[in-house]
Amino acid sequence: MEEKQGVAKVVSIIPGLAVMVLTLYVLRIFVEPWMTDAVVFGQKGWFVKVLHLNYILLAIITGMLYRNVLFGGKIPEWAEEGFRTTRLFIKSGVIMLGSLYTIQSLAKVGGIAIGLIMTFVFGTILFVMWFGKRVGMERSMIGVMGAAAGVCGVSACIATSPAVRAKPADVALAIATVLGFGIMTMFISPFIGHALQLTDYQFGAWVGTGILNSGQVLATCLAYNPTIAPGTAVAYGEIWNVVRVISIPFVVFFITMWYWRAEAEAECITLGGIIKDKFPVFVIGFFGMTALSSLGMLGAEGSSTLKLMREVMSWIFGLGLIGQGAYIDIREIKAAGGKPLQVGLAAGVLKYVIALIVIMLFVSKEASF
Amino acid sequence: MRILLALDDSTRSMDEALRLAHDRGAELSALFVLDTGWSVYTGHDFLLGSHARGTFLDYARDDELAQEKATAAELQNRAQAAGVDCQLKTAAAGRVPEAILAELKTGGYDLLVMSHPFRRGLEVMRDAATQVLKGADCDVLLVKR
Repeated sequence: MEEKQGVAKVVSIIPGLAVMVLTLYVLRIFVEPWMTDAVVFGQKGWFVKVLHLNYILLAIITGMLYRNVLFGGKIPEWAEEGFRTTRLFIKSGVIMLGSLYTIQSLAKVGGIAIGLIMTFVFGTILFVMWFGKRVGMERSMIGVMGAAAGVCGVSACIATSPAVRAKPADVALAIATVLGFGIMTMFISPFIGHALQLTDYQFGAWVGTGILNSGQVLATCLAYNPTIAPGTAVAYGEIWNVVRVISIPFVVFFITMWYWRAEAEAECITLGGIIKDKFPVFVIGFFGMTALSSLGMLGAEGSSTLKLMREVMSWIFGLGLIGQGAYIDIREIKAAGGKPLQVGLAAGVLKYVIALIVIMLFVSKEASF
Repeated sequence: MRILLALDDSTRSMDEALRLAHDRGAELSALFVLDTGWSVYTGHDFLLGSHARGTFLDYARDDELAQEKATAAELQNRAQAAGVDCQLKTAAAGRVPEAILAELKTGGYDLLVMSHPFRRGLEVMRDAATQVLKGADCDVLLVKR
């Protein structure tokens, strides 16, 4: 598709964006209230109480239905540019999430988050290196899969593959594997969380550690509890998410060093160079919002500024997640297979289950902020 | 008779198209489609800065160009060995089957030869053959890998 510029670009965004806005409006204003009151199997609110459906899960499901059923597997050209704004919405929303914390509150739970994330990220990478070698996977693919399963699906795959000379077609299959696993965990995690009566803190910490893709962590936390406020699942999950995102350049450096150590034509790699190239800049915006919140510049808890900001966030996440759903092509995910699937699935399941056990055994029910 | 060979990394489909062109005295064209769909495929990734995404997209484009070069060289060698003239064409598209169908429409071909499963760019994850069969007006020969 030809890249549009200026006014033409803005105009081309409108149709797809209008579909997403209208869809979210219908879901939030009509469908969600109807689900809350609907009586199914003699129980009022069965959809909400039993299936744990809310507008976040509905947004993702509707996005998936658009792509896979209504659009027949490909977002049509007229809607393409609009759906591509998904990244912008989620990125802006994550930056605004920084307002849920103060520097003091981050310091209180940040240590646990850093400890858990680093243990699981590097533990998973080492497992993939061991298991990948055992099943005879190519070294470049071991590197990509290690980053994907260790840090966060798509971003880590993309960041690592040029450094380890992985074939883009193989990278696409690795992405399909981690996305497939992520979708499964995104829908079953709220059920497991409710069944085990996990608190928002435990749930956020668990999915922040155990789910591979950052967008899916966000969606799963909001599916568990759609409230956006300090002390909710999304507030805790996002701390874990941000710590993990910050680790991307370090993981890329670690894997690149591991890969080139065994190659004859070694490349000159520096950590500084990789940080400059791969550091996710939006994280600075997230911490900027935390700084503003710490200085009291966004008002006290309950202020109209914060209320408005959280209402805006709930809408932008809803829009972003419709778009995320629309990027999920079930047929593409079904194509995942072979050794990447074997290794990715083993690493993903192991991380997901061990993270749950660790959280239940060692993380307190309530956080200190 | 005009034959179009849709190129991917399959040498079996190359040989089959060359054999048919030789046996029937047909005019053979081969089409390599550069997949430009990487930006859209990775479009839902929201963590990386534009620089890191750009690095990957450049890397994917370079890989596409390298594959085009390698495939063209492979085909040329085989065509020479088979004593068949083959015209090589290149197109770029976000979806490879769409470019194949566009070429079929404008080229007036009688037969399309392609490998199955077709492994060109992001088609490794998709069913290119079904897409092509739905839209093709001519006969289609699917060559098993």
